[in-house]
Amino acid sequence: MTRPAPYGPDVDVTQFGDGRAPLEEGAVAAAAEMAGMSMAAAAYYIQADNAYFRYLSRFPGVEVYRVEEFVEAYRGWAKDYVWRLVAPDQDKYVAAAALRGAGGYVIRVKSGVKVKEPVLACLSIVRGGLQAPHNVVIVEEGAEAVVYTGCVIAPEAVGLHVGISEFYVLPRAKLRFIMLHNWNKAAHVRPRTGVLVEEGGEYVGYYANLSAVKSLQTSPRIWLGEDAKTHTVSILLGVGDAEIDVGTAALLESPGAAAELVTRAIAAGSAVVTMRALVEAKAPAKGHVECSGLLMSPRANVVTIPQLAAHHQDAMLTHEASIGKLAEEEINYLQAKGFTYDEAVSLLVRGFVTTDIHKYLPEQGRRYVEQIERLVVEKAM
Amino acid sequence: MLKALMGIPGYEVTRGRVLLDGVDVTGLEPREKTRRGLAPAFQMPPKLHGVKVGVLLTHICRRTRCDPREVAKVMEIEHIMEREMGRLSGGEMKRVELATVLAQRPRVALVDEPDSGVDVESLAVVARGLKDLAAEAAVVVVTHGAHIARYIPPHRACVLYGGSFKKCGGFEVVEEVFVYGFKLA
Repeated sequence: MTRPAPYGPDVDVTQFGDGRAPLEEGAVAAAAEMAGMSMAAAAYYIQADNAYFRYLSRFPGVEVYRVEEFVEAYRGWAKDYVWRLVAPDQDKYVAAAALRGAGGYVIRVKSGVKVKEPVLACLSIVRGGLQAPHNVVIVEEGAEAVVYTGCVIAPEAVGLHVGISEFYVLPRAKLRFIMLHNWNKAAHVRPRTGVLVEEGGEYVGYYANLSAVKSLQTSPRIWLGEDAKTHTVSILLGVGDAEIDVGTAALLESPGAAAELVTRAIAAGSAVVTMRALVEAKAPAKGHVECSGLLMSPRANVVTIPQLAAHHQDAMLTHEASIGKLAEEEINYLQAKGFTYDEAVSLLVRGFVTTDIHKYLPEQGRRYVEQIERLVVEKAM
Repeated sequence: MLKALMGIPGYEVTRGRVLLDGVDVTGLEPREKTRRGLAPAFQMPPKLHGVKVGVLLTHICRRTRCDPREVAKVMEIEHIMEREMGRLSGGEMKRVELATVLAQRPRVALVDEPDSGVDVESLAVVARGLKDLAAEAAVVVVTHGAHIARYIPPHRACVLYGGSFKKCGGFEVVEEVFVYGFKLA
């Protein structure tokens, strides 16, 4: 319970209560709306603090559970999917989640089932305290799914969010996962994520933090089997005095595995945004890391730490990194085309956060990402 | 020179004035000059990473009430509307740049070296774009090769050499350049 995480400021977990006080529907609905979530969706999971849970699935072949219910219903089987990719003793945040956490979703997409409409999830801190849900997504062999998760906090709440996530992409399955974080300037956030992509599977992850946060640190790890692929994009907006440290790691353990990790950081105010990314290959595999940072103020800080590690002669790994402010030349060009200064900056920031993630997503997923890109630009300005 | 005319930061008019319809616009901001009808086509536009061609044209057209698809059709860039500005070839870049000027619907277009680094097909398209532009606006073209003049003969041509105008006249000046070069014209 005292082991700190290797990165990010150390937070005293004991100062956060358990968040089990009952909540009103109205407050939960307001938080869900902040996360772009609707109960009219065909499949969803809503959790507020550690006190309010609603979930269902109308998609044939897609099951949504609360994690405790899943463990209870599938005692023998559940242990293969719960606490396998994230170790409970990894650090004090995970330990707190293991001992004091409540809720979290389990989304199971049965073998061969292909769903393009997203399963929506909303995890919100309404009154404050520790929120530590344990989320599991299982996409069985040959299945395809899109999961959209929004994590938010009420403006006046003080909270620590430790979301434990374990994603299992079984052979030849595909998971597209979109996550939006919308915190406040007092919130501390320590998600812990493990993703296993088995033979021929594909995992596409899109993550965006689009508002103030006191501190945010996470290092998702993705294990890739034979011919498995991953493409992840992280959009990190740091405003105020936020300390953000995000580093995805892709572990290419079998021949033909491929990973592309893209991170775009925008730092405003006196925020510090650190981008870590690691691709490690133990087989003939390919990996690419791209980290770009945009400084929006003289006091902002961006750090990139891209790492490549090859333990096989036929591995091919590359990285590119850049940090800078918006180019005056580009702003001048746009002004000569009739744009105001603000319009020019807005267009360039939008360009900075636009990635090729769109081509990996179905229509509705693309719309979510476009909306997120618009919000990031608004908040960055 | 065209950047100085536009008032782009870093390029200064050290002598003389810029007059538009007799009004001195020398000290105006580039955006204000644009609002009054000047529009530059840059020789080497910046890359604008992540900004798609279609998005840029749509933004400009929103202000000038043009149809970006029509502009794209004229410049034969329909197929690259989803392409990022930073990922264009030389010829594509020239066509897109001229498209942004067409979209601005200017009164005076200032076009910097539309024929440099361009393949023959793109040059023909660029020339067609300039003709369209010339139907509704005054067009000033700066060129180091003068090839563009074969496609769109100028009403007036001037040779700027060694820091001053050496000669001004009609198309005969261009013909002279074709034979003797700028130095000897």
